Amino acid sequence: MRTDARDQPWTPETNEIAAQAHSSEEERPGEASEKPLPLSGIRVVDVGTFLAGPYAASIMGEFGAEVLKVEYPIGGDPMRRFGTPTKRSDATLAWLSEARNKKSVTIDLRRPKGAELFIKLVSKSDVLVENFRPGTMEEWGLGWKVLSEANPGLVMLRVSGYGQTGPYRRRPGFAHIAHAIGGLSYLAGFPGETPVVPGTAPLGDYMSSLYGAVGVMLALRYKAKTGYGQVIDIGIYEAVFRQLDELAAAYGMFGTVREREGSGSFIAVPHGHFRTKEGKWVAIACTTDRMFERLAEAMGRPELASSTLYGEQRKRLAARDEVNKIVTEWVLSLTREELLERCIAREVPVGKLNSIADIFADELFKARGNLAEVEEDGLGKVVVPNVVPTLSETPGRIANLGPPLSNATYEVMRELLELSAAEITRLRQQRII
Amino acid sequence: MTQERTDDLPLTGIRVIDVATVIAAPYCASILGEFGAEVLKVEHPTGGDACRHFGTPTSRGDTLTWLSEARNKKSVTIDLHHPEGAGLFKALVAKTDIVCENFRPGTLEKWGLGWEVLREINPGLIMLRVSGYGQYGPYKDRPGFARIAHAVGGLAYLSGMPKGTPVTPGSTTLGDYLSGLYGCVGVLLALHYKEKTGRGQYIDVALYESVFRCTDELAPAYAMYGTVGERHGPHIRSACPYGHFPTKEGKWVAIACTTDKLFARLAEAMGRSELASSSLYGEQKTRLENRQDVDEIVRDWCGSLTRDQVLARCEATRAPAGPLNNIADIFGDRQFHARRNLVAIDDEDLVETVIVPNVVPRLSRTPGRINHLGPTLGQHTDEVLKGLLGLSDAEVDELRTRRVI
Repeated sequence: MRTDARDQPWTPETNEIAAQAHSSEEERPGEASEKPLPLSGIRVVDVGTFLAGPYAASIMGEFGAEVLKVEYPIGGDPMRRFGTPTKRSDATLAWLSEARNKKSVTIDLRRPKGAELFIKLVSKSDVLVENFRPGTMEEWGLGWKVLSEANPGLVMLRVSGYGQTGPYRRRPGFAHIAHAIGGLSYLAGFPGETPVVPGTAPLGDYMSSLYGAVGVMLALRYKAKTGYGQVIDIGIYEAVFRQLDELAAAYGMFGTVREREGSGSFIAVPHGHFRTKEGKWVAIACTTDRMFERLAEAMGRPELASSTLYGEQRKRLAARDEVNKIVTEWVLSLTREELLERCIAREVPVGKLNSIADIFADELFKARGNLAEVEEDGLGKVVVPNVVPTLSETPGRIANLGPPLSNATYEVMRELLELSAAEITRLRQQRII
Repeated sequence: MTQERTDDLPLTGIRVIDVATVIAAPYCASILGEFGAEVLKVEHPTGGDACRHFGTPTSRGDTLTWLSEARNKKSVTIDLHHPEGAGLFKALVAKTDIVCENFRPGTLEKWGLGWEVLREINPGLIMLRVSGYGQYGPYKDRPGFARIAHAVGGLAYLSGMPKGTPVTPGSTTLGDYLSGLYGCVGVLLALHYKEKTGRGQYIDVALYESVFRCTDELAPAYAMYGTVGERHGPHIRSACPYGHFPTKEGKWVAIACTTDKLFARLAEAMGRSELASSSLYGEQKTRLENRQDVDEIVRDWCGSLTRDQVLARCEATRAPAGPLNNIADIFGDRQFHARRNLVAIDDEDLVETVIVPNVVPRLSRTPGRINHLGPTLGQHTDEVLKGLLGLSDAEVDELRTRRVI
């Protein structure tokens, strides 16, 4: 099946075989449909590293775009070494999952000849994704001016910690820092205690990539109407900050500084995480009075929802500790299964705090096909999160996992950039590709 | 920032019906509106969208969340339970490109307004359906909220101190925004497909799926090695130092040394470059093995300085650090002002000026816009029913008297 170019002395044939194996894999029944996908015919160059931006390219690849991952010839994207290693030395699990559907092309952008090849490649593409520190591509002679001259319809997604402008634009930015700057980390944890990671470290990378994918598709649509390309400029911290509901408006109007809320929320009571008899956790969210009424019924204490007691959100918010105590004691008296059963019978909004082991055992994830099993040469079955969102007419696909380094360099240089085999060999020897 | 732009935007000429509530699917419609679509918010005549009551109320009654997140929308009241209301809705759908909804699966079908019915009225229709657990599957009938989705999708389990009570991952509505974003991605994909083929489709987004999709290698690591991700407080398993550290005056900074190079810069900022030597903590592996020692060194250093001093020293050596901003810090942060992330909007129905987060993402040629805040209930009912559906004044009055609209 697929040949790992890295393990063998390089010859043009090695990569041709890799390329053929790649395309025959795409034709596996059930994985690639005959129907065109929304982005069939769109070519994306992804020269980013890690996730913030590259995940936008992954989404485009899931929905039909051809994604060329342009990597540094030695070692490639550091994402290949980030996270849990596998038997393939050029691929961690994070790489395998998130570089799905991409083709790897190595080019050293720092060398003039590499930059020249890159410009040629971009001129034959629709979308460019990058996440270098602002100014870096300009230093290499690969800024927007140069690239848009080579390709006036180019759509360029630029993701960085702080965006392309502003006083902090040159600072290194990571999701962890962006969660802090954007105001999310301050809110995660118990009041007065250590703020914690808001669930996962790369959340902001996913968020900024989602905004990136939205921006790219808006820009593609505008290009279809007018022929003009444009730049999409996203600071990771902005993507985080945009999702904090009325935080800004409430400070602006009332001077309210929201603090950490533990497992609860200022918005409603009871609304939080509760421990069951056997020490597992459930989430309960009574956002409305009706939801609380249902909970009171599930508890066998409908009187709690009377107007004289806690029937109104206002009263529950005022008596937050008492209400939470009542719910805490009730939940603690039941096993997780007993509790879920009672809540679900009354349509109370409830859910298990799933660990990943719980998720693999949850019939929901099976029924919805959220865990995709992909056979990978040398690794066996790899389980990755399936495509989101689900489209009824043109569902996305996972044609392959994160590619071996440079698996498509020859194909792209030969067929797309029309270099001779001899030129390619020479560029390879000079480590330009 | 707020004046009406006449520029041709990417979605100029696209009409969207947002019949959803609170934030999930409506946020998708908000983004479409920011980039030029006309968004008709269809609401129940009594009380309207629950988002109007979600959060902090203003002098107008509607909450701040509504004012911010219903930006650019037009409010049209229609009672969908009422057969005549359902008829009006169908007439609107016939003249619309996109419908966004997030009722519990089966609800629109019950009212005779399911996908099969609507696509017959409008074969090119794109319909975004957001729900807690998706349109099919064993839990589809359960009520779903972002908090529950954070739990089911695996995010809440990972938030908090090791073995401590799992906490809210910063904000209870993250799953709503993530779902709105995935929904928007789906809608824009479907628009591209429709352009090519003329065919519409629906997009099925479950809140928990949007959350679960953002958990990087959690699933593959469990499948391959049986690793169960746990809570790590302010830290992560794979890098050190990486976390939140208190400063002298009790504020917090985030530091993230994901690579050896970044740690070397931090050591330099600390004035202790020797820490990054190979005999000490130069390698990630060594730092992870001596996590407590390394974290303590960083904690002591941060604790000996003010937040501004820590950040200034990190900036000088380009070590990755940032303040844990609260909203007051954000309002004073130069970066937010330089990037115009906060925009003040004056609304004639309000005594106060409202400050809201500006549009993300930023497009160079066709920037999004905020023309106005969330509308008052039914503000545009007459305009839409008369202008778009051609109803007479008398018909509209009569429908209003009977509370159909």
